[in-house]
Amino acid sequence: MNGQLRAWGLRLSGMFDRERRDQELAEELQSHLALHVEDNLRAGMTPAEARRDALIKLGGVESIKEQVRDRRGIPLLEHLLKDLRFGARMLRKDPSFTVIAVLTLALGIGANTAIFSVVNAVLLRPLPFPQAERLVLVWATDAEGGRTEDVATYPDFEDWKASSRSFEGMAAFTTRGMTLLGGDQAETVEAVQATPGLFETLRVRPALGRTFRSEESAAQIAILSDSSWKRRFAGRPDIIGQTIRADETTYTIVGVMPPDFKFSPGSPEQLYVPLVRDPSRSHGFLRVVGRLRPDISVPAAQAEMGIITRGLEKQYPKTNAGVGVNIVPLVTAMVGNARKVLLIFLGVVAIVLVIACINVASLMSARSAARQRELTVRAALGAGRRRLVQQLLTESSLLALAGGALGLLLASWGTRLLVALLAKSFPIPRLENTHIDGWVLGFTLVLSLATGFLFGSVLAVPAASPDLNEVLRESSRTATGGVGGRRARSLLVIAEVSLALILLAGAGLLLKSLLVLRSTAPGFKTENLLTVNFQMPKDKFSNATARSTFYEDVLAQVGALPGVRSAALVADLPMNGGSDSLGFHIPGRPDPTPGDTFSANFNIASPGYFRTMAIPVRAGREFSQQDSASAPGAIVINETAARTFWPDRNPIGQQIVLPVTSDKTVTLTVVGVTGDVRQQGLGSAPQPEIFLSYTQPGPDWPWLVLVVRTARDPVMLADAIRKTAQSIDRDVPVYLVRTMDEVLSHTLAQPRVYTLLLGFFAALALALAAVGLYGVVSYTVTQRMHEMGIRMALGAERGDVVRLVLRQGLSLTLAGTAIGLAGALAMTQFLTKTIPGLQPGEPITLSAVAALLIGVALVASYLPARRGAQVDPVVTLRYE
Amino acid sequence: MKDKADVWQGTLALMTLKTLETMGPLHGYGIARRIEQTSGDLLSVNYGTLYPALLKLEQEGYIASEWGVSDNNRKAKYYRLTPAGRKQLEKEARAWERTTGIIARFFAPEEEPS
Repeated sequence: MNGQLRAWGLRLSGMFDRERRDQELAEELQSHLALHVEDNLRAGMTPAEARRDALIKLGGVESIKEQVRDRRGIPLLEHLLKDLRFGARMLRKDPSFTVIAVLTLALGIGANTAIFSVVNAVLLRPLPFPQAERLVLVWATDAEGGRTEDVATYPDFEDWKASSRSFEGMAAFTTRGMTLLGGDQAETVEAVQATPGLFETLRVRPALGRTFRSEESAAQIAILSDSSWKRRFAGRPDIIGQTIRADETTYTIVGVMPPDFKFSPGSPEQLYVPLVRDPSRSHGFLRVVGRLRPDISVPAAQAEMGIITRGLEKQYPKTNAGVGVNIVPLVTAMVGNARKVLLIFLGVVAIVLVIACINVASLMSARSAARQRELTVRAALGAGRRRLVQQLLTESSLLALAGGALGLLLASWGTRLLVALLAKSFPIPRLENTHIDGWVLGFTLVLSLATGFLFGSVLAVPAASPDLNEVLRESSRTATGGVGGRRARSLLVIAEVSLALILLAGAGLLLKSLLVLRSTAPGFKTENLLTVNFQMPKDKFSNATARSTFYEDVLAQVGALPGVRSAALVADLPMNGGSDSLGFHIPGRPDPTPGDTFSANFNIASPGYFRTMAIPVRAGREFSQQDSASAPGAIVINETAARTFWPDRNPIGQQIVLPVTSDKTVTLTVVGVTGDVRQQGLGSAPQPEIFLSYTQPGPDWPWLVLVVRTARDPVMLADAIRKTAQSIDRDVPVYLVRTMDEVLSHTLAQPRVYTLLLGFFAALALALAAVGLYGVVSYTVTQRMHEMGIRMALGAERGDVVRLVLRQGLSLTLAGTAIGLAGALAMTQFLTKTIPGLQPGEPITLSAVAALLIGVALVASYLPARRGAQVDPVVTLRYE
Repeated sequence: MKDKADVWQGTLALMTLKTLETMGPLHGYGIARRIEQTSGDLLSVNYGTLYPALLKLEQEGYIASEWGVSDNNRKAKYYRLTPAGRKQLEKEARAWERTTGIIARFFAPEEEPS
């Protein structure tokens, strides 16, 4: 073994200093012959005989030298070095080819590297906990509701924890907004309520103090996040034992978490408090995090939990029927929706790379056709097939590596752009960690080599086994246009056209959806409209009078600010997606089905809401001061509700009966009908909406949003409004002051980002496919220059020649389009299924996309066609 | 094809080591002659194959070489066995004996048909 190792080392060094060693070998063989000849002479041979015998017995001197040389160095490595040098020389000799190929590959590889670096940061990098791969989220499932990721109830969590053997630790938590009081300003922060053992399950120690003890489930103690400690308490080291007031409760601070600690999806947590036990088995509100034992897999844990939940189903059939569990790795759960989107884009850039590969392959194929004679001559001179393939693959790998290096450069720049863009679409956890690390570098390297191999082998294999007789006999001019090569290149172009069509169809679908969304009128005027959210501390504002007083003050004072046209309140802002669907009866009419009621989305508004929003009142009136607490209950409905519930009569004056509590109902009269508003977002059709007046008794409502119509830029007023609200009550935090234009553009941000990204990649694919088509057509034109000269000499018009060439390009494109259509349909169906809110794909978009592709293809083949038609027949013929 | 060559190389290497052990330092031609004499005409037509084998043994550290002068005053490269080579030879010889022993038992006439 030792000897082997030593030998390899020597062979590596044997690759150098070849001449001296060759010289020495020659001398050794020389001395060998001399000794032999002497022996032979002594045995009585004539000098000629002696020499001849010695030579014969030694064997072929050159062959010995070759064998010794092979043994001296490492032939494979030597060949590789030689091929690299040769390949680099070939690439330098043809700079335009090299530049195009490297650029094409750089685009393909760069796109993949950029997307992969995001995937790496978001999906692949482990969470910052010890042995994070063993952390899972245990969701409840609900067979009846069809939910696979549902919150669990407290007793269920306790039973799971007590009965299961698969977990080292299990803890439950829920998140909610809590209002921190005291200090300069009230503020609402993301708080986690957790059972004891949460931090132990995650294996995270606090930076200061301690975590919750198991007996402290109802204690009024809190743990701060690093950022809230630094922000609210200026990082005081004596923080332990201090108190903090949140939601009207005073908590004693027992610990501070380390910086960057965050484990729940959503916005960073600021505060951790113990979770109070809720004995109800029908009220699910918990997320359960568990740490698997080292030897337990997710499916094994899933199987064990299945047995436990089936037991619970039998024990508590009323509440637990159909309730199971679904165990998901914590990292997957944290990433959530982003996973799907990122994987889609990874697939998209993979297609782009395949197109780039095809492009370079067909470029190289055209070039290697020109080199066919070189290869054939080398084969005729005895180069082995393997040696030729090795040579071609080295060349293609060299190209791919150059492309990869440039692609990395593009990606390092593109990644920043990509992250900035994606950050706008929706919160993706850990997106900000995206950077190019060792994994990304490795990915790019492997991808480049695989790419080089892929497009290299497409042509190396046929090119390296030339039919010697065939090629050598063909004249130099036709030798370059073998039928096989042409067919291969045509197939390649067809493939890339069809792939490009698939991406274009996807982009077309997204674009169409975005355009439909943008042209959808929201139903109100979004300009100069400001929205302000308050969060009322629950205890302080538990009775309706306190809330009304606060709101009355806000309306009066904000309404009096200079620059404010009008102000009003509403429970659910349009396009925020929030809505309360309630059931009601219509007097004198049977319920739609026995035991069921009519239902509509209920919302609460103040007088002046519709005027402030500029929602047109179609009939009757909107709420006014006359709808006081003692006046008869009034409602305003939208046109859809009017059409749905009173299609055959004037809805004004009609009544509904709305159950408020289990034994109390209110009777409400329609006083007005307004235009439809896209309450659920631009992508969904208007639904029946019924507005109650906030000044009248009705169902309980948590808090209202202030909407302010301003005379000029609403942003200028934001500060004044915030101050006014604070001056009325310091304990009510004001947050999320946004203009309605912001709200609107926020709802459009995600589709816009997707469309932009997919559109960019599709355009890239289209451009690459066009370049590929151009290359192939233009190559054929060059090959057929002579033939065209003859045709024109015989009387063909330039138009005929152009048509001839166009026909070739067009037939390739049409073939590619036809094949791509099936894929394009699959792509649009896949996208509509995976990305919510997309318009279904329809033939018009697909045809438009196909037309675009064909148009571009026509241009790409017209350029070389014109060149072909400008041939001077005399010149071509004379050239022969 | 390759396997056969490997076997041949292996055999040749063993014979070379044995020759150097018996004869002491020797040049390539001398080794070739000695092997030819001992083995009949195994190497008779192709002395040349010896040289890659010698290089291999030298790279593995089993033999060492230096230029010297022959009995009749001719410059020649002499090979000699190194301590590692001696050890290797013992090992190979033992392995060889074991192999031949096993093979021999297969070909020996059966003694007791019980």
